[in-house]
Amino acid sequence: MEDGTFLTDDFLRQLINVGEVDILVGLPTHNNARTIGSIVQTIRSGILRSFPRERAVIINADGGSRDGTPDLVRAVAIDDARPASNLYALRTLHVIGTKYANAPHNGVALRTILAAAELLRAKACIVVSPEFESIQPDSISNLLHPVYNEGFDLVSPTYRRHKFDGLLMTNLLYPMIRALYGIRIRESYMTEFGFSGRVGSQFLGQNNWSDSVGENGVELRFTLAAISGGFRICQSFLGEKEHVERRAADLVPTLRQTVGVLFSALESGFDIWSPVSGSQPVPTIGSDPDVLLDPLRVNRKRLREMFTTGVNELESVFQSILSPSTLTELHAIDALGEEEFRYPAQLWVKTVYEFAAAYRKSVINRDHIIQALAPLFRGRVFTFLVENRNGSANDVANNIEALCLEFERLKPYLLEIWKSKQ
Amino acid sequence: MNPNTDALWYKDAIIYQVHVRTFHDSNGDGIGDFLGLEQKLDYLQELGTNALWLMPFFPSPLRDDGYDIADYDSVHPSYGTLDDFRKVLDSAHKRGIRVIIEMVLNHTSDQHPWFQEARSSQNNPRRDWYVWSDTDTRYKGTRIIFLDTEKSNWAWDPDSKSFYWHRFFNHQPDLNWDNPAVREQMWNVMKFWLEMGVDGFRLDAVPYLVEREGTNCENLPETHTIIKDLRRRLDEHFPGRMLLAEANQWPADLRPYFGNSDEFHMAFHFPLMPRMFMGLKLEDRKPITEILQQTPEIPPSCQWSLFLRNHDELTLEMVTDLERDYMYDMYAQNKTMRLNLGIRRRLAPLLNNDRRRIELMTSMLMSLPGTPIIYYGDEIGMGDNISLGDRNGVRTPMQWTGGWNAGFSTADPERLYAPLIHDPVYGYPAVNVVSQRESEHSLFHWTQRIIEVRKSTAVFGRGSIEFLYPANHRILAYLRRLGSETVLIVNNLSSAAQAVELDLRPHKGNVLIEMFGKNLFPRVGELPYLLTLGPYQSYWFRMRRV
Repeated sequence: MEDGTFLTDDFLRQLINVGEVDILVGLPTHNNARTIGSIVQTIRSGILRSFPRERAVIINADGGSRDGTPDLVRAVAIDDARPASNLYALRTLHVIGTKYANAPHNGVALRTILAAAELLRAKACIVVSPEFESIQPDSISNLLHPVYNEGFDLVSPTYRRHKFDGLLMTNLLYPMIRALYGIRIRESYMTEFGFSGRVGSQFLGQNNWSDSVGENGVELRFTLAAISGGFRICQSFLGEKEHVERRAADLVPTLRQTVGVLFSALESGFDIWSPVSGSQPVPTIGSDPDVLLDPLRVNRKRLREMFTTGVNELESVFQSILSPSTLTELHAIDALGEEEFRYPAQLWVKTVYEFAAAYRKSVINRDHIIQALAPLFRGRVFTFLVENRNGSANDVANNIEALCLEFERLKPYLLEIWKSKQ
Repeated sequence: MNPNTDALWYKDAIIYQVHVRTFHDSNGDGIGDFLGLEQKLDYLQELGTNALWLMPFFPSPLRDDGYDIADYDSVHPSYGTLDDFRKVLDSAHKRGIRVIIEMVLNHTSDQHPWFQEARSSQNNPRRDWYVWSDTDTRYKGTRIIFLDTEKSNWAWDPDSKSFYWHRFFNHQPDLNWDNPAVREQMWNVMKFWLEMGVDGFRLDAVPYLVEREGTNCENLPETHTIIKDLRRRLDEHFPGRMLLAEANQWPADLRPYFGNSDEFHMAFHFPLMPRMFMGLKLEDRKPITEILQQTPEIPPSCQWSLFLRNHDELTLEMVTDLERDYMYDMYAQNKTMRLNLGIRRRLAPLLNNDRRRIELMTSMLMSLPGTPIIYYGDEIGMGDNISLGDRNGVRTPMQWTGGWNAGFSTADPERLYAPLIHDPVYGYPAVNVVSQRESEHSLFHWTQRIIEVRKSTAVFGRGSIEFLYPANHRILAYLRRLGSETVLIVNNLSSAAQAVELDLRPHKGNVLIEMFGKNLFPRVGELPYLLTLGPYQSYWFRMRRV
């Protein structure tokens, strides 16, 4: 799609009819008929309850659903052409949509939503995942209110999650972004978030949308852009987030969209993150992030095996990426029995930092670097599971905090290897 | 159509509402009077109005601006004599202007001789002309209307040591319509004025005529029986005269007041008015279309009466709590502007004196189904004075000129019944009839023009309405049809320019003729009809197949 003309005429006509809005809810979908009905009802309730006076629109960016998802979204519109509706509302609630492709693509969906937000001059916007089934009307307010009423530019979510959910977030993204940028955002790879028209427009204008990399991992890219741009950021508690089973094969694409995006952003943002030391909490609306402790079945043995296989099979790759001492330590822990195996925090942080530096220097193909991180991450996850197996919520929080501090403590090491030629 | 002989004249009327006291003072005592009003009938004719609604002018202690009547068969001496009233009536009729007067059926003043007799002893023959009780606990389910001043619908009468029923102020005891003598007497009152030649009555507070235990004492079947009886007598003895209901109710509750063309000819559409203001502020047609969708069909001979502002507060009784809060915040942030459940402000100040918004609201008033009522002074954009108590701030003297007392009276200013508006924006030096007459583009001349265009076709007073629902919700568009005539109205409720696509395919082949400038617009085809409208702009198109 050509820049500037990627919105269809039909969608543009719909936007003209909507006109300026105060509130915009973006809803990227693709075959979500099972969940979308209740989610859009909740969104509507949240708007009517908390923003009954504001001009609002729900924008459905659909990746070619074949299960009637767009129809289910449109059904929650409130307008005067449906006199049978007994729903009370002060004003029209618009629901418009566009089908941008025949396959889902978060980047295209977000770009569509951002473009709509800019054209409609939306003051406060949110994006909601079509899979967030436990969403409550208050969640809508919690995301919108800080932007609409308090002048924040980005509202990052926090959730009540199972202690073993979001392990990439807790073991890498959160501590590393915190250490590098000095800002404690728990969920930087956001599936639900709020933002101001201001930050939306800036991101829309600056992100390289014609580059497919620019569209991958767009959620994290958005967070990093807000941080780098010095926008006002806060967190908002959205309640419980359901545990989603992931296949092992999903890890590499996920790493590309998260760690790959982060490593890539470090290059251009060096001047911003390099002088930062320590970290500061961001204002949090509602409860603090919380963890659920109920038993969860995880195949730790498989994780351990994948770690060992990776360390052995990727030896030559690791030699290009890791320092000799780190590689030696990896071999040492790999030799440990299952009961004794631990991937300690210090070694994990050094590993990640060395991967980041290697990525910057493109010591090998960058995608191979990201792929090579996968088995090591599994080893780290194994350790996290073991260390927190019987841990209380406090124990888990303390362990994550300790890891964060380790990332902060070793940041000079990253700066050192970042600048070195080797 | 001959408005003087047509029995449905009220459907084509443009009603001008005025209080005698406020309009023009002929004898220099500081109070408007009938002879002063007569002198200004040319003005009403010039404006284009063809019906005059006079607020209460009967003898009264004036504790509720005349709605507390102390004698139904005379006029208040401040306003002149019965003969003076007859002169107004005759002069108006000569100009083709009908005269509608106020009739307060529900209650009298506590100074009325009937009540004085009734309270004098429990055995007085007139005792049963009012509603008495030994306790103040009867009719518990009845709401209090004047919440700001009244704590109960019962008031203690120390003379006869019992409570009397009043739905409005405590000095306005309700008549007992269960008493046949009251019914007969009130018909005699109406007959007195009908024989004199008045063309219609605005019957005040009709839902409250009858009380029954276990009900909310509003809209009771017995009330409808009374109205039907009055209507039957009216049609029998005075055909062509009109009854207009003041019943501040939801449309579905109002519908029975039309009966089967055997109760009221007209009724105010109270819930529509605040929603027009709401739709304007929201820039969203939904409140307007929604209430009109809920408005039931009425018999062909009946008519809604529409208004933007009147002598009362902008009533917010027929809105939800959410809507009321919104209206207060948008139109009456200053709490002194609020009264009871409403906003005591005039049209121009409500709309921030924005000429475009005034024109848009007037355009809707003139083109939606019903008979429009213009409150005196709104045609020149008069302001209000919220420092005056109750609703007196919207009842200040008419501003005729920029000279002495605004041309209203030759009295010393201190003797005027109410102070003139003096502020720099709305004061009479800036806003007055003479200066607006001289300005081609004044609000007065614009109002005159829209009345003229409205009167150029019967479709507005008598035609059906069909809403178009363009995807642009800021646009309120509808078709008015009568016989082979179709008029398209397109209103932009937004402060910004808008584009709108209208589905006019059923009218394919017609050209649109803009009704003010008579210019041709493109022919309607298969494709959506694209229009662009400036901020708050309104189009009236006549459709014509050529």
